[in-house]
Amino acid sequence: MKSSQFSRYAPKSSIDIGVFLCRCGGNISDTVDIEKLKNSIDAKVVKEFENLCSIKCHKTIRDIVLEENLDRVVIAACSPITHKKDFQNQVAPLNPYLLEMANLREQCSWVHSDGDKATDKAIALTNAAVERVKYAQPLETVVRKIKKTAAVIGGGISGITAALSLANQGIKVYIIEEKPTVGGNMIKIGKLFSPEKMVEECALCLFNPLINEALDHKNIDIITSAELMASERRAGNFDLLIEKKPRYVKEDKCIACGKCADVCPVVVPDQWNENLMYRKSIYKPFPQSVPDVYTIDEENCIKCGKCADTCPMNAVDLNMKKEIIPLTVGSIVMATGHKGFDFKHRPEYGHEKYEDVITQMELARIMGVNGPTKGKLLTPSTGKVPDRVVMIQCAGSRDEKPEGKRYCSKVCCMVAMKHANFIKRYYPDTEVIICYTDMRTPGMYENYFRYGQSKGIKLIRGRPGEVIDKDGKLVVRVEDTLRSEQLEIETDLVVLSEAMEPSEGTLKVADKLNVGLNEDLFVKEKHPKIKPVNTDVEGIYVCGTAQGPKDITDSVSQANAAASKVSEIMNGGLEIEPIIAEVDHSKCDMCGKCINACKYKAIYAYDGRVSVDPIACNGCGICVSSCPEGAIEIMGQTDSQIFAMISGMLKDKKDGEKRILAFLDYIGYVAADNIGINRISYPESIRIIRVTSINRLMFKHILYALENGADGIFLGAYPDDMVSSETKEKVREFKAELIKNGIDPDRLMYYNVYAPYFRGLAAKFDEFDKQVDMSLDKYETILSKASSKDI
Amino acid sequence: MDIMEFKTIKIGKNNNKLTDSIIKDLKTSKDIGVLKCIQCGMCTSVCPASRHSEYDSREISKRVLEEDESLIYDDIIWNCFYCYTCHSVCPVGNSVSEIIQVLRQKAIINEEFEQIVTFLAFGESLLELGIGSIPIEYYSELIEVIGNDYPEFKNKLDEIREELGLGSLNLPDEDVKDIGNILEKTGFKDRLEKIRAYKKSINSEQ
Repeated sequence: MKSSQFSRYAPKSSIDIGVFLCRCGGNISDTVDIEKLKNSIDAKVVKEFENLCSIKCHKTIRDIVLEENLDRVVIAACSPITHKKDFQNQVAPLNPYLLEMANLREQCSWVHSDGDKATDKAIALTNAAVERVKYAQPLETVVRKIKKTAAVIGGGISGITAALSLANQGIKVYIIEEKPTVGGNMIKIGKLFSPEKMVEECALCLFNPLINEALDHKNIDIITSAELMASERRAGNFDLLIEKKPRYVKEDKCIACGKCADVCPVVVPDQWNENLMYRKSIYKPFPQSVPDVYTIDEENCIKCGKCADTCPMNAVDLNMKKEIIPLTVGSIVMATGHKGFDFKHRPEYGHEKYEDVITQMELARIMGVNGPTKGKLLTPSTGKVPDRVVMIQCAGSRDEKPEGKRYCSKVCCMVAMKHANFIKRYYPDTEVIICYTDMRTPGMYENYFRYGQSKGIKLIRGRPGEVIDKDGKLVVRVEDTLRSEQLEIETDLVVLSEAMEPSEGTLKVADKLNVGLNEDLFVKEKHPKIKPVNTDVEGIYVCGTAQGPKDITDSVSQANAAASKVSEIMNGGLEIEPIIAEVDHSKCDMCGKCINACKYKAIYAYDGRVSVDPIACNGCGICVSSCPEGAIEIMGQTDSQIFAMISGMLKDKKDGEKRILAFLDYIGYVAADNIGINRISYPESIRIIRVTSINRLMFKHILYALENGADGIFLGAYPDDMVSSETKEKVREFKAELIKNGIDPDRLMYYNVYAPYFRGLAAKFDEFDKQVDMSLDKYETILSKASSKDI
Repeated sequence: MDIMEFKTIKIGKNNNKLTDSIIKDLKTSKDIGVLKCIQCGMCTSVCPASRHSEYDSREISKRVLEEDESLIYDDIIWNCFYCYTCHSVCPVGNSVSEIIQVLRQKAIINEEFEQIVTFLAFGESLLELGIGSIPIEYYSELIEVIGNDYPEFKNKLDEIREELGLGSLNLPDEDVKDIGNILEKTGFKDRLEKIRAYKKSINSEQ
């Protein structure tokens, strides 16, 4: 017996408990002998009611709590999932967490027909609740107080959209952009296409007003040439350090007259124009750049000082130093975007080798009026309008080869159609051929695809293997798979529809923020269906192409969704159930094992202390098992509460009676309730204890139960949550420990529970009940053999 | 008029015998993407055999997926010369060159020796020397392609190897014997015998 362990937690002797029994209009009392139950309970007050959930009874409960000056309350009625919240509200001014419920309906009277056995079980269930409530502690709902300030990392269409939405909801926003101008990828694309209209629209004309609105917004600060250096979590907030690179031009003085660039002697390829043209070392990326100021790029500047001499505003400061900006924000939105596929990994397409093999983004710059050819479609090597353009789809996408991207980049079919239609509109004599494997133009985009076909865009179904130079002519090698013809298509221009991949900024920022990535290195959502903008770190959200390939429409929707999630926690005053981990700092020696063990990234070190983010914590209890010092408890699921529940469930066990403790997580508990609701029966031996997760259990609990009369231990949990692999490991550990302790491991069973498949759970209860019988028989046989030998 | 016949896909019956046997064959990579082929034609677009003959790599993959067993007896499978370009570009990890190897083995098992007979000398060399050296029969062709450097290189090979400290190209007799044993136990010798007999029969026909 290891009850010594348990007695340490013995409560104060004088606790006045009131037990309220519900007949549930016969639903309970027709099966359970309420009179017998009433007489078997040891509590200051025991009362029965016809319908505890009625409004009249609510008042009565409160009156009795006050009159009798009760310290604790047990409601023995229906499932806590149905009415616990209501009852918790009725016991005020008593703390709501000083109330326990015994589930006499869904898990007793509805699943058992034998009145005597059901009554015995009801007594055990109620006693367990009485035992457990003695150890209950008053808890306060956690109200997260967070700063009404957010950082949006990335100033592309997603970041600007999210920032504007937040700012308009009264939240102070910092946009942190690593480039000298905001605008991201969208601002580089000359033309956009929306599926409703068969016409290409000017990207800048749509985006620029938004940028200007952000620039002028009183709640928005745009910090350009800036990178996130470090991030620390503290009490629901984030302390960020931002490094602002020197621009060498004073933003408040520069009037963007451009005289500096005229005199600058350093000429370098212009990255903003995909290196298709040149710029000076002092430059403004494009005429409509925001902020509207010049910048000196550090790598190329020779510090000759000519710009400083010329500047009429004295805005150039060659001694400018980098600036470190500390920010404390309540939430972060990652809008760090994507970059185009690097074609050095696919040399067969000749992008690195031939001037006239370009990407769709390069074509976008060529066709942008603020681009290298002022919007004219010209072949780079000849400067002439091409007679033929061949586009290659899935360039880098849908490719399982090393360095290839396995996913479909989702937008390239539309991008190719847009550029092809645009070329057809302005250069009707230019032939456009698109080589594709599948044209994926979902929804309304199909109209645009059909429109393109009617305008004479040629489509060849085949994936080109290489682009070569044949006698001075570019040739695309492809098989027309619909005609079984191998083709060598001569062309003036080849356009590769490049894959989208996560930007370097996405990787860097995710690393700094400890945000999880998926296997393709995009930011992983907490759940792809129901939590598409949450990251795995509470308080950090993601939108746009940082999360995966998507078009502008989807990026904007996601940005607004992320903003409303941030607004929820800042404007909503979030209240959380306090069933979460709490660290005893006097015992904690900062080993950090819990931080690594936590799958919800809820535990972090701050200022020499281990802290728990109450919003992120699920109360699963993995940290409790991981802590060598025993310094962590789950509030509402403390060791003493679990021990009390176990001993209460096993109290007054009769000779020959069999009792099985079934520990179920939330989904498991709901499934068990569903068994009751559907009036399916299972053995009376099954006694259900709800836990936050199977991971909350430790072997000491299992052993205590088995040593104190439990014949079997059943564990049931929903298998597709974030801690499922830990659950499986836990079960393995329990089985191994049982063997070590000379206990038949067949006395423990684990089962994957799904809420709608409650019949499976009921069948498993039956099966396990028999398995336990067999195990006990086996044991008896061994015992009898041993004793006969002894004789 | 042709009436299109539907192929019935029966429950509980393996409808993909050829495909499965290729995927499971030792000669193909463990994760070969035969079933992932979407007929994009990238293999064909880079295949030299496809460029210079009736052969079409994509078509091979297609006929396998169609369970077209006649492929085994089709001379077209002998046009591939294992350059592996299709293998190196396939975006779904399929490999027509590996498929071809299995198909050829199937042909040989079915005693389709017409195409393999020209390679008989390679097998003989393996039996005789323990290594697969280029048989003398091919020398004249090689000289035609490479030029007179080839016989010179061949003549001086032992000298060159000695200079480089590589030792003789010939395996010790014991090793040749060991290899011979392996070849006998694995049925290689028997198979070669059959091909020899086949060669004799066509020679006598002529």
